[in-house]
Amino acid sequence: MQPLHKLETPPLPREILLRIYREMVRLRTLDERMMTLQRQGRVGFYGACTGQEAATLASAIALEKSDWIFPALREGGAMLLRGFPLVPYLCQIFGNAGDETKGRQMPSHMASKSVHQVSWSSCIGTQLPQAVGAAMAAKIKGDRTVVAAYLGDGATSEGDFHVALNFAGVFKAPVVFICQNNHWAISVPSSKQTASESIAIKAQAYGFGGVKVDGNDAVAVHAAVKQAVDKARSGGGPTLVECETYRIGAHSSSDDPTRYRDEREVEQWRKRDPLDLLRGRLQSWGIWSAREEDELRAKVLEEVNAAIAEAEKKPEPPRESLFEDVYSVLPWSLREQREELLASPPAGKTSQ
Amino acid sequence: MAQFEFRLPDIGEGVVEGEIVKWLVKAGDEIAEDQPLVEVMTDKATVTIPSPRRGKVIKTVGKEGEIAKVHQTLVVLEVDGAPATAQAAPTLPPQHAGQPAPLQSAGTPAPGAKGGNGDDRRLLATPVTRRMAREMGVDLAQLQGSGPQGRVMKADVLAQAQLRQERPAQPPPPSPGAAEADEVRPLRGLRKSIARTMAQSHTYVVPFTFVEECDTGALTALRAKINAQLTREGEPKLSYLPFIARALLRGFDKFPDLNALMDEEKQALVVKREVNLGFGAATDAGLTVFVVRDVAHKSVRQLGAEIERLAKAARENKLQLHELQGSTFTITSLGKDGGLMATPVVKHPEVAILGVHKIKEWARPVRHGTEGALGIEIAERMNLSCSFDHRVIDGHIGAAFLYEVIAALESPERLLID
Repeated sequence: MQPLHKLETPPLPREILLRIYREMVRLRTLDERMMTLQRQGRVGFYGACTGQEAATLASAIALEKSDWIFPALREGGAMLLRGFPLVPYLCQIFGNAGDETKGRQMPSHMASKSVHQVSWSSCIGTQLPQAVGAAMAAKIKGDRTVVAAYLGDGATSEGDFHVALNFAGVFKAPVVFICQNNHWAISVPSSKQTASESIAIKAQAYGFGGVKVDGNDAVAVHAAVKQAVDKARSGGGPTLVECETYRIGAHSSSDDPTRYRDEREVEQWRKRDPLDLLRGRLQSWGIWSAREEDELRAKVLEEVNAAIAEAEKKPEPPRESLFEDVYSVLPWSLREQREELLASPPAGKTSQ
Repeated sequence: MAQFEFRLPDIGEGVVEGEIVKWLVKAGDEIAEDQPLVEVMTDKATVTIPSPRRGKVIKTVGKEGEIAKVHQTLVVLEVDGAPATAQAAPTLPPQHAGQPAPLQSAGTPAPGAKGGNGDDRRLLATPVTRRMAREMGVDLAQLQGSGPQGRVMKADVLAQAQLRQERPAQPPPPSPGAAEADEVRPLRGLRKSIARTMAQSHTYVVPFTFVEECDTGALTALRAKINAQLTREGEPKLSYLPFIARALLRGFDKFPDLNALMDEEKQALVVKREVNLGFGAATDAGLTVFVVRDVAHKSVRQLGAEIERLAKAARENKLQLHELQGSTFTITSLGKDGGLMATPVVKHPEVAILGVHKIKEWARPVRHGTEGALGIEIAERMNLSCSFDHRVIDGHIGAAFLYEVIAALESPERLLID
């Protein structure tokens, strides 16, 4: 494990550094609470970002409001960073009436136009050609939008990875590919994803730059992604940024990593916790104190718990909404079902 | 004080049960919210399950090593606060796992379900189950579902269908057996599909066939003139079929019910706005029917070209799926060995089919002038055999329809300007 590169002075304005840190703490807290709620059966599914907060948030903060995010998995936290309110975010996980997507997506697969972020892509790599398409649209329209396309190490083994990077390279799409190499594609280790010396080096074959950074160092992630975003915005084309990080937790609430992964490896990575690394930097620059840390942790926990309580209170989505948004004119079979449903008494409160 | 029943949630995606690996609390323990209760191993993961509520453990259900079903009660807690049904629970409203509802045994109907007459019972079933029930003719409302919250499951539908089959012991389908020298050829591919379509027609349609002749002298002359012109232009010639297709439109104008489909489930005649004509075509593998869509908006020449193209594709076995589906009426050319008359089989759910026979010359008696001598002239005629589904098309309607088509064919110039 490499030691953190020492920096004498903060490379970013204080408020940006603190904002990244606060969002990292909030996301960590949220993830912990939601995994607990999942085990209690209060939400059906959850995918935590634990260990990857720096790669997710320090990259997303380098984007402008008008830029778009095409996430892989675990980048939901970027929505919160970009101003999406916590309660409707949680309502998506509960799948209730407060959810913008009407409870129709799998929990954790949140999306919102309001913050320019599409849904998680559980189909591995499919988001990449879509992101390049969106970037090409921006280029053709001549606006200054940049698209951030997130992917994991697993996605680099997919055909869509080649299609997307090749097209982006040829047509100089304003896109930044941000690979969160977290070492595990569910149970497949990154050593089985490629024979290349890195993922970043693959960019060379597509005719553009690739850069590998310490994905647990928020400052390094931000610097690399900011440079790539600026380049894309000024017409310089794509960049592939590989953030080397680690998935501390399970792939999802349905996964048990102890079945395929040595716990000692996890312990090694816990020593490079991105929150600890950034807090260490902040303290070394004298812009963060133990008291501020305690206050932040308490405040964030209170905020998250209050938001959970509020989100959990919301009713289920109206049952007639089941029949909306697919057909402009309902086919007879669905019309019949809707009438049958509406004629019957509403569902009692049910245990799941 | 109230009781709170914590049930094993679905902790994976679609997990149905888990083994109780280790109890972390016992009856009498005071526990905090989020305190680990039990370790459970499912086929996906071993997980520690934390308590959603603070309270005192009244009892735990199940021993270590035993299997607990998802939604089965694991722990009963005594908790502070209002009776469990109230909305006031501070951290956990009642619609979620560990539902603080009054204790009820597994067999009790879900709240809101009245059971009994089945009228105001909520009917829960997935689309695939609904479809299955429709196809098997099982009434979902009559079933007691075995799934969660009384949901009707596929197995319930199957069981009901089986029950129904068992009651009147049905004889097995006849099987004649075969001697060693005989050839046994299973129906496959197109033949199997033809067999199914024909059997479907035989099951539903009550057919009657009406035959009449049509004087094609004018049509033959007109077609010859047009084809001579087309030949000069180097264009392919037209067959009789595009003219017959246009003539059918005149029939449908007067009798729209002939261009219709039967909905057996709803017992309704679906009168189609668009005319999509199926054309029977013999291929090496068997009879196939290709479909020319929206005939009303195509000229004789366009129809000719399309029929030609599809007929060629049929011979070469290259028809696309969409070129085989969606017909609303079918024409079958009976060809040069088509006989005097035939009884074409209506292609269910369509309600009529037109069989076209070969044009023949015949000696027709004529009287020259009103009082003139009786003579003979050589004329042309073509027989048309039209079958109808008598359930929805009465005899005189079918006949009148065919006379309308014949009238159109006997004044063929009109077909060019319609």
